[in-house]
Amino acid sequence: MKKMTWALALIAVFALSGQASAHFMMMHTPEIAQEKGGDMDFRIVFTHPAEAGHIMDMGGVQDFYALYQRGDAEPQKIELKGYLKEIAWANPESKGKGYSALIPKKDVRSMGDYTFVFIPGFYFEEEEGVYMQQITKVVANVGGIPGNWAEPAGLPCEIVPLIKPYGLWTGNVFKAQVLSEGKPVPGAEVEVEFLNHMPDYKANAVSKDGIVEYPHDAFVTQTIFADADGYITYGIPKAGWWGFAALGVGPQTEHNGKELSQDAVIWVKAVDMK
Amino acid sequence: MKFVKHLLLLVAFCLVSSLAVAHSPLCDCFDNGDGTITCEGGFSDGSSASGVGMTVKDGAGAVLQEGKMDANSEFSFPKPEGDYSVTFDAGEGHQVVIKGENIVQ
Repeated sequence: MKKMTWALALIAVFALSGQASAHFMMMHTPEIAQEKGGDMDFRIVFTHPAEAGHIMDMGGVQDFYALYQRGDAEPQKIELKGYLKEIAWANPESKGKGYSALIPKKDVRSMGDYTFVFIPGFYFEEEEGVYMQQITKVVANVGGIPGNWAEPAGLPCEIVPLIKPYGLWTGNVFKAQVLSEGKPVPGAEVEVEFLNHMPDYKANAVSKDGIVEYPHDAFVTQTIFADADGYITYGIPKAGWWGFAALGVGPQTEHNGKELSQDAVIWVKAVDMK
Repeated sequence: MKFVKHLLLLVAFCLVSSLAVAHSPLCDCFDNGDGTITCEGGFSDGSSASGVGMTVKDGAGAVLQEGKMDANSEFSFPKPEGDYSVTFDAGEGHQVVIKGENIVQ
């Protein structure tokens, strides 16, 4: 009997350690600080970016668009769903489906801010018996005229930056506010991951080797909490892409009669000073 | 003496242009492909370029058209034949000149 208990404990440990890295909607484009407007290519995959782990089925796409604003001119919505194409994506030890989107210059030629919004369908996490939906944002800029980067996009839940998310130096503090239906989420749990394996757009895969090595599981997914007003702060230690996922902050808590974690994700890019 | 004057002018120019950094003028133009050109402008701090003077000149520097940025900081005009340039003029040290050959679809 004792043996049985030990065996169960061991299984439990393995099951837990398998979840050391977090689920992240990866929405990537090679450059978010563009000097001139031009075609913008995207790769969108539901995965574990810190370790290029398992690729999950995001359950289709509900919406994909950009909110564009130059200075204080009227914001405009640019529909992008029509550009999505389903692709096969390969991580070193996992294969799955994702999306690509080649957005032509005509849609992103103007100077200003483009808040890209991707809303996937629902992913069913069998082990836990819960659904997940990660509403994801990336803010890009063309030409240096700022726009709506600090404005909420009006999503069910979102992370709104308080520092230009496309103009970050390595070592800057990323500050943002977690919102649910436009209201701050006090104490929101936010997971932070580094995009450790760079996407290869030609191969629709990521690099086999990671950029950094983790000394301990605790470093793979860093966890931070929002303060009493829903603000998060995070010092960015390395150049590259950083993802922030506020867990279960969305207003929808059930899907198909099961628990739903509706999360808010934002990706930012930090650049070394040289 | 003339040299000193020039040097002073240069220093003054550099001072003025370095002041522009916190609020630099930005302008970009596109060929709409229908015989018209649209220019969009603004400033690096996000402030509006509405009302900023726009001048279109031919290759010899003769003024072809003058106008102002509209409420959305945009200015459209018929595409001139031959060489031309567009000047976004928000005052001293706040000018952007774009050559026609760099204005594409």
